[in-house]
Amino acid sequence: MKKKVLSLILASAMVISLAACGSSSNDSSAATAPDTSSTETTTAADTTSTDTASTDTAADTATEEEAAPASELTDGKFAETRHITVEVYDRGNDNGSDPTNNMYTEFIKKGMMDQHNVEVEFVAVPRWTEVDDINNLLAAGDAPDICVTYSYPTVLSYAQMGGIIDLKDYVEEYKADTQNLWNWLGDTNMLWDKDPKTGSLWAIEGKRAEQERIVTFVRQDWLDTLGLKTPTTRQEFEDMLIAFRDNADTLLGKDASKMVPFSVSKDIGWRTANLLASFLDPNISDREFYINGFDDRLVTQTSTKEAVRLLNKWYNDGLIRKDFAIYDDDTAEDDMIKSGYVGAFMHNWDMPFRNGEDSYNSNLRRLVGENAKFVAIDPFENAAGKHAKFLYSSAGDRKIFFPTTNDEVLASFLYLDFISDPATIKYLQAGDEGVTHEVLDSGAIQIIAAEGDAIQNSGKNIDYTITCNGTYFGDTALADLSRAYGYADQDPELVSQADKISLTDGIAPINVNVGEISAEAGVGDTLSSKRDQIYDNAVVAPVADFDSTWDSFMDDYLSSGGQDIMDERAAKWEEYFGDADMLP
Amino acid sequence: MSEVKAKSRGNKEVVTKKPFNMSYIRRYWQLYALLVLPVVYLIMFKYVPMWYVLIAFKKYSIVQKIWEMPWAKNHGFEYFIKAFKTPDFRTSLKNTIWLNLLDLVVGFPVPIIFALILNELRFKFFKKTVQTIAYMPHFLSWVIIYGLAIQVFAPTTGLINILVQNLGFEPIPFLNEGHHWVRTYIGLGIWQSFGWNSIIYLAAIAGISPELYEAASVDGAGRFSKMWHITLPGIKPTIIVLLIMALGNIIGSGFDRPFALQNNLVMKNAEVIATYVYKAGIKGSQFSLTTAVGLFQSVVGVIFLLLANWLARKFGERGLW
Repeated sequence: MKKKVLSLILASAMVISLAACGSSSNDSSAATAPDTSSTETTTAADTTSTDTASTDTAADTATEEEAAPASELTDGKFAETRHITVEVYDRGNDNGSDPTNNMYTEFIKKGMMDQHNVEVEFVAVPRWTEVDDINNLLAAGDAPDICVTYSYPTVLSYAQMGGIIDLKDYVEEYKADTQNLWNWLGDTNMLWDKDPKTGSLWAIEGKRAEQERIVTFVRQDWLDTLGLKTPTTRQEFEDMLIAFRDNADTLLGKDASKMVPFSVSKDIGWRTANLLASFLDPNISDREFYINGFDDRLVTQTSTKEAVRLLNKWYNDGLIRKDFAIYDDDTAEDDMIKSGYVGAFMHNWDMPFRNGEDSYNSNLRRLVGENAKFVAIDPFENAAGKHAKFLYSSAGDRKIFFPTTNDEVLASFLYLDFISDPATIKYLQAGDEGVTHEVLDSGAIQIIAAEGDAIQNSGKNIDYTITCNGTYFGDTALADLSRAYGYADQDPELVSQADKISLTDGIAPINVNVGEISAEAGVGDTLSSKRDQIYDNAVVAPVADFDSTWDSFMDDYLSSGGQDIMDERAAKWEEYFGDADMLP
Repeated sequence: MSEVKAKSRGNKEVVTKKPFNMSYIRRYWQLYALLVLPVVYLIMFKYVPMWYVLIAFKKYSIVQKIWEMPWAKNHGFEYFIKAFKTPDFRTSLKNTIWLNLLDLVVGFPVPIIFALILNELRFKFFKKTVQTIAYMPHFLSWVIIYGLAIQVFAPTTGLINILVQNLGFEPIPFLNEGHHWVRTYIGLGIWQSFGWNSIIYLAAIAGISPELYEAASVDGAGRFSKMWHITLPGIKPTIIVLLIMALGNIIGSGFDRPFALQNNLVMKNAEVIATYVYKAGIKGSQFSLTTAVGLFQSVVGVIFLLLANWLARKFGERGLW
């Protein structure tokens, strides 16, 4: 009997220890992942130590090259075939093409081989976990020669660890060989991230060809049904939402309970951006905007609290989607919008037109009726009566950097040059005539739905045109003409209207380059998550508790590093610009 | 484990009489050969990485070797001090302990009670069916469970709250208010695991000699007194072992359960060490800081384990070792 019990205990202990292993490996996936990644660093460190050596030698040969330029290239070609690897996002689209092997990658590979004798290999990195994945690849020493990310803090933290090549000398040295790159990006984007003191340049900023950012959309057919005119002020917008709420029976019939007058997601700062911007003082000084401007969703700007107070009122009046904060992704909201339960929302300027036949407007046309559609409106005026809204700056898109494991710096630059060639951009964006686009009588390029290898996994193939985001077609005039035709299965007039509104009274963000703010390192993600907590909690708080909720979450934000950033920014501003209110 | 058993069963005298020598290895080389792979696995994946726990005391660099990295300030304890100064770490430490304590107090007895109830069922088919259904949630990932939870518990669109609202009451904020969220978290945890965890107890119950029950019946014991005086004492060693393990885990926690269930509205109650380490360490690249946190977590966990084991032995139980 005793033996039996004992063996049972042993057996159960084993089961538990197995189970415990299972669960502990779960949390150690968080806790020890840095360890494992650094385990791999042993090998990484090995290779990189030789690599630093090789960069040294590269620098040596570089100095030699200055003496005898073009020793490595003849007619832009290497004597021997070089090999580089290039990061490409894998978006995991249903029915997409293979991101590392399709019509466009073939074009690039062939072009690079013919022009420069460089063999290109693409490395797929999942789009939605890109920062984590690049972390792992860098730590393992397996990072692609040309890396790209949206997150400059990530670049900076790896630069500080010595994992990234300083491009400051290379950009000048290879300037003659990379004319397309310099022509396209200009000094602005090439040197955007140059440290004003040390001159270090860790990354090159890809350029946004389109600066359109966020627009408000409304169901035109609902306005028509209720006999409302298009709202042009904040008050009219609110009245419209109330009308939607009160007429749910008319608008949705038996689905009246599903009515959502104004839809948002947990990313309030993005999804109400134009409203927040309209509360901003039109005469705000560059200084104040910069000091309070670490958060790209304006949370620390002084005017934002009042804007959110309005949202809080709307929420408590039943004008804003309930439950928005508990959903992790946007699929539930997408479904609501496509099914026609949503009256208005704010999002990327081309949101209702994206994804061809699966776009919001195409779904509405199919599921709700011929007239059902979202149109762009511009209802948020600021104190000066302008409909001010933020644009994208020409930089601030993808950052391109070379890890120290890259021993083909010149070949990598030639790749960036090739990718920035107007002809290359045109082909990557437009593809072949008859397959991915048609040329209209006006000369405009109309994108059509493609199949198989020719499918673009990202809009305008931005995953390949890493130096260019947005319609360009190698020619600004052609791009302007074609922008409205860039969306398969969409009414060009609606696109053109949204385009126009998104640029009306647009504010281009300022670039204050005062070098690195050390308080910003490593806290970006934590603070963004706290920012979302401030917004979400403040919006759903009871009206009476709004102030206390906002203040307590804001205190938490500030004490978690937000205040340090402001202080350091204030100090740096004074160091570089004295007591000036505006940038020189 | 089977090798160990085979060894000890077959050749007791050899083990006790002769100390370790080559002829022994030669004689049982097959067993050693079988052992090589698991040992290599353990060393490679469990012990070599442990070396890198040192980065908790060093200024981490992605390109340097571990011994090349400079020591952190304050005799290497810079990151421990920093962690304890970080409000987020303190919140997540508090939440971790609180959630685990609740899990222990509320969740620990459930599989025992469930096993006792199942054991009393006489109708085999019904018993097996209930058992199988109770196991099922164990095989669902937490992401899926959260998807289900949203359908059922969402504040305005969840099944339960639609019902509650139609009855004319205020919706219950299962997922969007801190204290309710904690209840939902604990409840879902119990629902997911009680069936599976009861297996061990059922096995222990099956090991109790039927003679004891027969003798008790003859003496006129009823169901409850048999349960109280035979079944529970019979599975007591198992309960103790599991309790010690659970106490050792009081400051640790799975990652996927809190991570999948948390949302922006409840973060003050929902951030635990595992998710904090993930966010600050992996996403924020603060490897040294979060390794320090992880190390702290493990050390405290071991202390709890030792303490529980010592207590168990003190009260005359077998303990883990």
